[in-house]
Amino acid sequence: MATNILDNIDLRQLGGLLQQARKKSGMTQADAAKVIDAARTTIVAIEKGERRLKSKELIKLARAYGRAVSDFVRSTPVTEPFEVQFRAAYQRNEQEEARITPTIRHFEELCRNYLELEKIMDAPLPRNYPQEYDVTNMPIEAAAESIAIAERQRLGLGDGPVHMLRDILEHSVGIRVFYLSMLAKYSEIYSYDDQLGGCMAINLGHHEERRRWSMAHGYLHFLAHRRKPVIDFEGQYKRIPESERLAEAFPKYFLMPTSSLLSRFNDMHRTHGKFTPTNLFTLAHYYGVSVEALGYRLEEMKLIPSGTLDRLRDRGLKVRKVQKELGLEEIDQRADTLPTHYQHLAIEALDQGLITEGRFAEFLGVDRLEARRIAESLFEYSSGMFDESAYLDLRQA
Amino acid sequence: MEITHSHIVLDACCILNFCASGYLIEILESIPAQVVVTKIVRERELLTLQRLRDESSESEDVSQFEIAIEKGLLSVTDFNSEIEEETFVNYVFELGDDGESATGAIAFHRNWAIATDDKKAISFFERESPHLQILSTLAIVKNWSEQEKLSYDTLRSVLSAIRTRGRYMPHRNHPLLRWWKDVMR
Repeated sequence: MATNILDNIDLRQLGGLLQQARKKSGMTQADAAKVIDAARTTIVAIEKGERRLKSKELIKLARAYGRAVSDFVRSTPVTEPFEVQFRAAYQRNEQEEARITPTIRHFEELCRNYLELEKIMDAPLPRNYPQEYDVTNMPIEAAAESIAIAERQRLGLGDGPVHMLRDILEHSVGIRVFYLSMLAKYSEIYSYDDQLGGCMAINLGHHEERRRWSMAHGYLHFLAHRRKPVIDFEGQYKRIPESERLAEAFPKYFLMPTSSLLSRFNDMHRTHGKFTPTNLFTLAHYYGVSVEALGYRLEEMKLIPSGTLDRLRDRGLKVRKVQKELGLEEIDQRADTLPTHYQHLAIEALDQGLITEGRFAEFLGVDRLEARRIAESLFEYSSGMFDESAYLDLRQA
Repeated sequence: MEITHSHIVLDACCILNFCASGYLIEILESIPAQVVVTKIVRERELLTLQRLRDESSESEDVSQFEIAIEKGLLSVTDFNSEIEEETFVNYVFELGDDGESATGAIAFHRNWAIATDDKKAISFFERESPHLQILSTLAIVKNWSEQEKLSYDTLRSVLSAIRTRGRYMPHRNHPLLRWWKDVMR
């Protein structure tokens, strides 16, 4: 290995990464300059990509910033920085920006990792992307319902409940869905890039019903406003834009199709002679939506009187308590931070000796010990076995 | 086990395994060369070792790693020339891993042996530094057990500790897999 990688690396990209790391560590350019015994102007030039770094300087700066050298020189795929994409989405509020920026960076890192793993394994996530739906001049509710029907048909979902929505978006559509910790008011972040395709980060802290709603909401952005990045949080708009109203309307039609809901409602009504709060809870559980979401949907369909939910709440209805009393179990879900395809690419790459154990741990965002535990469980999950038979190709020749 | 180099650099996989065994000191004492760990591995893997300790009920395990350094059984080294630093950065680009890259770069320039279980690192070092001896956790533990004439039960408990606490098991193509399976049976 005769060549020095720092002679051939993209200096602008390296400079940008160093600048980001310096800021994150809370150091000024003058502090950083002291680390490498240089003038502040040297750091300015390095961060602009105008001055070549020596290995010694890179090592010193990485140590001072508390980062690994691999964070700066690894051959990671180049994608449009998420911060640039999202600037428009939060430019109105600096406070919001400060709150959400760490999550966006984490989301971006995971998306890049995903792409890197695909390249290492030469196994891109299969894409089954429809053309963007044109909703120009369409009434919002009609547009939302027609897209929901078309997508259900395209994905072969019939008109029943959409179980395992996350898996459907990941495996049947090819969208990268991460579950990340965020403040409670944030529900979803959506981004699109030609290389990465559709990417979503859903609030891990929310109940699964709400996460499913957020995923469907994000999916509509993908379907109808693909290239517009979105950060969805409460109290975001004084006046809700049309694109957002469409995204808000879509989940109810996608998760609770009119025909199926009407039929289930009528069946229940016929059987019991009425539609009780117990029926409401059972039906919400059946569709994997919140009681509130179902209640408002039934109110809109004029199947229950408007204000029913408010009246139930006024009577002191405790949703989680009632669900427990009715024996309605938590919705079957996979609440891992990382998509399954991502995890399997990482374990395959480790197994084939294409990444080191340390890098595998970084891909999973855990320490080495936890990485070994996950690797073991992923092997078991993939194959249920440990020996050579786990690597057989079971396809028909 | 003969080591044809004056020093051997342990990577993070091996350190974790030896600490998990509960016999780090004894294992290091059995290695016929000065054992070294890089500053990068020491700093980056301390948290993992801390977790290993947290999960351990044996208080004597608590500072095996630090004791080994204090006793001089394990010395910590860092780059001492620009060429080592340059090789390290080049290796990082290839391996994407600071710990393995530092281990390999220092071993390469000082003609030291390497101890690692990492598949990618092994194939990379075999290609880049074919003159260097590469040993594994199992080779070193096997050598220690033979040297100390460990009882079957003790050896089994050591390998079990590495398996359960360190969550390590040899890869299906590991040259000592059969030996490991026989002991663990």
